[in-house]
Amino acid sequence: MRKLGAVLAAVGLVATLGLASCGESDSGAKEGGTLKVNFAYFPDYLDPQLSQTVEAWSSMYNTYIPLLTYAHAEGEAGSEVVPGLAEDLPTISEDGKTYELTLRKGLKYSDGTPVRASDFKATVERMFELDSGGSTFFTEIVGAERFAETKKGGIPGIETNDRTGEITIELTRPSGTFVNELAMLYTAPLPADTPAKNLSADPPPATGPYEIVESNPERNWAYDRNPQWERNNAELLPDLPDGHVDRIEAEVVSNPSIQVDDVESGKTDWMFDPVPPDRVAPVSQQYEGTQYKLEPSINTYFFWMNTAKPPFDDLAVRQAVNHAIEPAAVERIYAGTMNPGQQILPEGMPGYEEYALYPYDLEKAKALVEQADPSDRSVTVWSDNFSPNDEIGAYVQDQLEKIGFDAKLKLLGAPYFSVIGNTSTPDLDIGWANWLQDYPHPNDFFEPMLHGDSIAPTSNGNFAQIDDSKLNAKIDRLGAQQLSPEIEGEYAQLDREFMEQAPWAPLGSREMSLFVSSDVDMDEVIWNPTFWGDFTSFQFK
Amino acid sequence: MEGRGPWYRAYRRLRSNRLAIAALGLFAAILLFVLAAPLWADLVAESGPNETHTTAKIEVDGESREVVSPDGTPIGPVWLGAGGRFLLGADGRLGRDEMVRLMHGGRTSLTIGLGATLVTTLLALALALLAGYFRGWTDGLISRALDVVWAFPVMLLGIALGTALAISGIQIGPLTISSGSTWLPLLVIGFVLVPYMARPLRGEVLALREREFVEAAVAQGSGPLRVMLGELLPNLLPTAIVLATLNVVNAMMLEAGLSFLGAGVQEPDSSWGSMIADGVEVLATAPLLTILPGTMILLTVLSVNVFGDGLRDAINPRSKVRLEAHTGSYEPERGAA
Repeated sequence: MRKLGAVLAAVGLVATLGLASCGESDSGAKEGGTLKVNFAYFPDYLDPQLSQTVEAWSSMYNTYIPLLTYAHAEGEAGSEVVPGLAEDLPTISEDGKTYELTLRKGLKYSDGTPVRASDFKATVERMFELDSGGSTFFTEIVGAERFAETKKGGIPGIETNDRTGEITIELTRPSGTFVNELAMLYTAPLPADTPAKNLSADPPPATGPYEIVESNPERNWAYDRNPQWERNNAELLPDLPDGHVDRIEAEVVSNPSIQVDDVESGKTDWMFDPVPPDRVAPVSQQYEGTQYKLEPSINTYFFWMNTAKPPFDDLAVRQAVNHAIEPAAVERIYAGTMNPGQQILPEGMPGYEEYALYPYDLEKAKALVEQADPSDRSVTVWSDNFSPNDEIGAYVQDQLEKIGFDAKLKLLGAPYFSVIGNTSTPDLDIGWANWLQDYPHPNDFFEPMLHGDSIAPTSNGNFAQIDDSKLNAKIDRLGAQQLSPEIEGEYAQLDREFMEQAPWAPLGSREMSLFVSSDVDMDEVIWNPTFWGDFTSFQFK
Repeated sequence: MEGRGPWYRAYRRLRSNRLAIAALGLFAAILLFVLAAPLWADLVAESGPNETHTTAKIEVDGESREVVSPDGTPIGPVWLGAGGRFLLGADGRLGRDEMVRLMHGGRTSLTIGLGATLVTTLLALALALLAGYFRGWTDGLISRALDVVWAFPVMLLGIALGTALAISGIQIGPLTISSGSTWLPLLVIGFVLVPYMARPLRGEVLALREREFVEAAVAQGSGPLRVMLGELLPNLLPTAIVLATLNVVNAMMLEAGLSFLGAGVQEPDSSWGSMIADGVEVLATAPLLTILPGTMILLTVLSVNVFGDGLRDAINPRSKVRLEAHTGSYEPERGAA
C-alpha cells in the first residue's frame, strides 16, 4: 500500500508540474536506468573507515557523507570543502585547536536509523580500532594516540551532544589541514553500533543518495537509490546532487583492454580506469570529444629509493637515477598521458613551482655511480603488473643496468602496495608508486610519504624511508598553518630541498581519461579532482 | 634383423617413418634458431633482448625513423631495411627488438619445456619404482600424494604455485631461487606434471614386478635398490622415453599458459607465452606480435608431438601406450594385445 501510495503521489506531482516528457530532463537526457561500470580492481575496502584507494573513494563518495565533503564540481571548484552532514563549516578557536560543528537535524541512514552526533565519535573510534591507514590523519585529536594503542576508554578530545547535534573536537596542536581531513571518507558517520571489522562484504547503511545493496568482494557490487534520501536527507542536504540513474552495477574486469572493448560495444557504460596506453591512440582518434576525453588529475608518479640501505643510502647514487630517467621515454611509455616533471608537488597543487634539478644525462649518471662506487650493485626494482606500470618498471630496470647496476625486476599484482608497505619485505631497493591527492593541500604530499614519523613497519607510506630531522620539522611547522601565498612559497622551497636529497625519481603527473559508451551523455559527467567520475552526474541520452 | 637388439629395431622403424623424421628436422631447425639468439643479438641486432630503445632512432633504407613514436606506437617490421636491426619491428612502447626477443623467448620456452620434463621424468621414475616395487603402505602413501596433486586442475595448480612463489621465490635450506628466476616456472611445471607420468609408470612397475626375471634376481640375493635400478628401470625406460617426449609438449603448453596469465616467466624476460600475452593488447594494430610467438609454439608443439608419436610407434609397435589428448593424461591401454 505504501508503494502504491507513493506511485500515486508521484503521478499527481508530475501532472501538477506539467512535465512534458516523463523521465527526461530539460536537456533531453533521460532520468533513471542502470549504469554499468567496469573497474580493474575491487576497491581495497567498501568500508569508509578503511578505504585508501581512489577506486574506493569514488565508489563511496555518494554513499557515505562525512561532516564536511568536497563540492560536486570539476577542477578547482571540486577541491572546495563544503558542509556535508554538518550544518556549516567548523568554527575554529583562536588558538586553532578547537573545532565546533553541528550535525544537521533529521538525517537518517538508509536503514531508517537516525543519524546522531555521537555516531561521529563512535566512527572515529571505530577507525582507530580497525588500525585504519587513515587514522594517521587524526592522531592530533586529544587522546587519539593513547586510544590507538589501548583501544579503551574512548577519545576524550571529541565531545558530542545528541540533543543539540553539537560536536566539539580538541586538537593537541593547531592544524592547517584538519578541515580537509574531516572531508575525507575516514570519518563519514556510521551508526554507533557498527562492528569494528571490515564490512566490505556487507557494507553499512548509507547517508548519501545511493546505498550499496550487493557486494561480492573481488567480483562485483551494486547500488540502489537510498530510500531515506528522497524521504529525508535530500531536503536536508540541498547542495548535494540526487543522481540521475536508479541503479549502478560495478564489475571487476581486470584487463583494461577488455574494458575498452566493453565500452565500445555498449556492454558497459563507463570504464573507471584510464584507457590503457596501447589503446589510447585508436580510442582518441575515434571517440575524442564524443565518448572520450582526457581529464586532469592531481598526482605524482615516481620511483622511490630506499635511503636506509645501500646503494641508495648514497646521495650521488640517487641523483644518478634521477639523471638516468628520460622524460621523453616516460611520455612514450605512458602513451602521451604523462606530463613529465621532477618535482614532488604536481601541477595544480598549491606550492607547485616548475624546476628540474636533474636533466636527462646518461653519461653523467654513469659517472656519478662510478664515482660513488656503491658496495652493493645488485638491486631489485619493484612495480605492479598493471600496464604501463610494468613497462615503466622494465624501463627503469634497463636504465639501472645501463648506469652500472645489476638490476632485477619484480612485478606484483594486487598485493603490491601491502608488500612494499611492509618494511621487513626483503630487497626493498627501488620501486614505482603514485600518489593522488587526498585533499588540495601540499602537506598531503609531504607528511604521509616523506616525514620520518610516517615510517611504519606495516602500511608504511614513506617508501624511501627518509628521515631528515630538519625537513621533518619544516613539514610540521608548515602543516600547522593555514595556506597563504607565503606558505605556498615555503612549500615550493620544501619541494626543492627534498629533491636535493633525491629520495624519489619523479616521473611526472598523469592525466586520467573518461571513456563512456555512446548511451551516456559525456558532457554532463563531472570529473572531480579527488573522486574522479562523480556517479551522480552520469545520465543517459 | 636377426640378432639385433630391441633398440636397433626401434631405430630402424623410426628411420622409416618419414613424417617423424621430418618433424625431428623441424624441431632441430627451431632449436638452431633459438640457439643462434646471442649471435643474432650481438652481431646483427646490436641489442640484448631486454634492452629498451624507447627514444632511439634508426636508419631504415636511408630514412631516419623513430623506434617508438611520441604517442607510444612502436615501429613495425622493417625486414632488412636497417641491416637486420628491428627485422620484425619493436615489441611495444619500450622499443625492444622483437626478433631478438622471439629468439631469446624460444630459448626460455624450450629450456622450461625440456627442463621441466627432466624434472617430471626423474621424479616420476623414482616414485613409480618405489610404489610399484614395495607396494603396500609405500604404494598407498605415494599414490594418495599423487592423487592430491592430480585432484587440482593442472593450470590452476600452476597459477597458484607460480603466483605464490612470485613474491619471495623458494628458500629451502641452502637452496635459494629468486622470484624472477626461470627455474621457478621450470620447477613448478615439472612438479605439477609428475602424476601424469608417475601413475602409468607405476602400473608398468607393478606388472614387471611379477615377471620371472625379477623373481630370479631376488632369488639370487639382489637387494631392492639393485632390483629397481638393475632390473626394473631398464625395462621401464622405453615407456618413460615416449611419455617424456609427449610431456615436453604439455610442459611447453603449460609454460605458455602460465606466462600468458602472468604466473610463468616474468618481465623483462620473454618466453613465447609471455610474448603472446603482451601482443594480445595490440592485436588489432600489431597482429604480428601475437602471431609470431604463437606460430613458433604451434610449430614446436607439432614437431615434438609428431616425433613423439613416431618414437612411440618405433619403440612399441603394438602401441601399448596411448595419449589421452583431451585430458592431458597418459594411461596404459587396457587389454591391448
